[in-house]
Amino acid sequence: MSDFILEATNISKRFGGLVAVKEASISVKRGDIVGLIGPNGAGKTTFFNMLSGFMPADTGEIFFKGKKINGMRPSNICKLGMTRTFQIVKPFPELTVLENVMIGAFNTTSSTTDAKKIAMEVLNLVGYASYADMSAGSLTVAGRKRVEVAKALATKPELMLLDEVLAGLTPTEMWSMIDVLGKVRDQGVTVLIVEHVMAVIMNLCDQVFVLNYGEKIAEGTPAEVSENPKVLEAYLGDDYGKPASGAN
Amino acid sequence: MGRSVGFAIYGVIGLICIGLPFFAESDVVVAVMPPGLSGSTLLHIGILIFLFGYLATSWNVLGGFCGQLSLGHAAFFAIGAYTSSLLYIHFGLTPWVGMLAGAAVAAVVGYGLGYVSFKYGLKGPFFALVTIAFAEILRLLMLYWDFTGGPLGLLIPLTEDSWSDMQFMAKEPYYYMAFGLMIFGILATAKIGSSRFGYYLRAIRESEEAAEALGIHSMRNKMHAAAISAAMTALGGTFYAQYTQYIVPDDVVKIALSIEIILFAVIGGSGLVMGPVVGAFILVPIGEMTRVIFSTAATGVSFVALVNSDIPAVEKFAKYLDYLASGGGGGLALLLYGAILIFVCLVMPRGVLPALKSLQSWGKKS
Repeated sequence: MSDFILEATNISKRFGGLVAVKEASISVKRGDIVGLIGPNGAGKTTFFNMLSGFMPADTGEIFFKGKKINGMRPSNICKLGMTRTFQIVKPFPELTVLENVMIGAFNTTSSTTDAKKIAMEVLNLVGYASYADMSAGSLTVAGRKRVEVAKALATKPELMLLDEVLAGLTPTEMWSMIDVLGKVRDQGVTVLIVEHVMAVIMNLCDQVFVLNYGEKIAEGTPAEVSENPKVLEAYLGDDYGKPASGAN
Repeated sequence: MGRSVGFAIYGVIGLICIGLPFFAESDVVVAVMPPGLSGSTLLHIGILIFLFGYLATSWNVLGGFCGQLSLGHAAFFAIGAYTSSLLYIHFGLTPWVGMLAGAAVAAVVGYGLGYVSFKYGLKGPFFALVTIAFAEILRLLMLYWDFTGGPLGLLIPLTEDSWSDMQFMAKEPYYYMAFGLMIFGILATAKIGSSRFGYYLRAIRESEEAAEALGIHSMRNKMHAAAISAAMTALGGTFYAQYTQYIVPDDVVKIALSIEIILFAVIGGSGLVMGPVVGAFILVPIGEMTRVIFSTAATGVSFVALVNSDIPAVEKFAKYLDYLASGGGGGLALLLYGAILIFVCLVMPRGVLPALKSLQSWGKKS
């Protein structure tokens, strides 16, 4: 239908009196890495939850590959080719790293042997093959985040939604993860990423959407967005350009 | 290495089990057995071990692999026992077919129970409560209904030894049937455990949301687990009915049975294929032995009288030992059994099998 793999129009979510996401729209072009940024509490994760089917949207429509996915189970959305990671990582702690990734690999095969093979390929890709036999519960935060990405990648998705996979990492761990994300793109996987770390957005993203108080306030290339006064205002406060007041 | 040692141990124990009926009455075995035990009792204990090992293995599919705590598995056991028995009594249908019918009924009921519970997102203790309620309702209905024989239960009409009626005077055929049932349970769960379905169940146990994100229809898989677990449990119910020839609701749907099934699985190591069987092999003999030892032969001395007597402490202690050795105090059996359970839970919170495994890997490192 179009070269947009994911299109969401005017989706909203209200929690009681709080409007977490207000008529936000997003369109993700196939093959891109698209960033979703915004200050804390901007509604990014809620937005993600609606896109991935974990939370029903109150209004609006979501199309994945031209197919309306509102109200579908996350597992069925995954079968269509869209998967996600969680900000608060959810490894299967009692299982080994390999088994964790195999669970994802079973999305496209029912054979344990094939799943193991796919999982090893993915672990090699993300540079984590040497940890295959460790239990996922014993990993560091960086390790868990990498397994989180590997699990999602093993489902062989066309679109991956990554929720803050870099948060809480040391600079070294972060750059190695950025490297992984580049490899993910080279696999032909489209990526929509929520991130706080600006370096990632600037380095990796082709397109950026900015949310603030649940509303989309800007979109464009990283360079365009970083020049946008609304964005600067959202991040730095509305008097960012003015000289510091003497009273402070 | 560790794996092959494990297989060897299981193999040896398996061979002993197969051979037991041949030497249960031999002088050597009789000599080492505690007083009050005969070869036939030994076979009975064996049957209980296999049956409970099998039931705990069946429970393990839903409770262990999938992590859905069912406290009402006695209900499926009863469905199996009653279905085959009713079909046999009223239609003369052989229990061999009846047991499949019972399994089918249990599967449908398990599927339905899963549907109702999981549709409304019941998890953990809430699912457990629903299963308890379900089993209790079934027990009350069976007490009330006429066709189940009410509180009097069902008496299976006796015939002579017959394979087609699954009835025997001797214990040996039952012994081997129970053994076969247990082996079937082990093979079935091993097969499930290494299949995609098994991986899915474990993923759901660890994190249902993460499982959904990876394309696992959590509700459907949980319902399948409930149905398979229920059907397997029902097969055990038919066996039990044929072995005892008499079933009453208060025996086959009692909550204590549901709990016992879980106990074996949890103590042995739930979620592992061999865990429930290991649990049964450890706990059933302990339970039976303590019961036999402490309930037979009385000294004629009251325990309370002994405690209150004015003899010196050392002498008193010796008398306690005498008292216990001579089999005083029936309640002590349960007390000791309970103490052993608490001890195992404290020392090996994840079960005996995981504890043995970590001991083994610890041994390798040092």
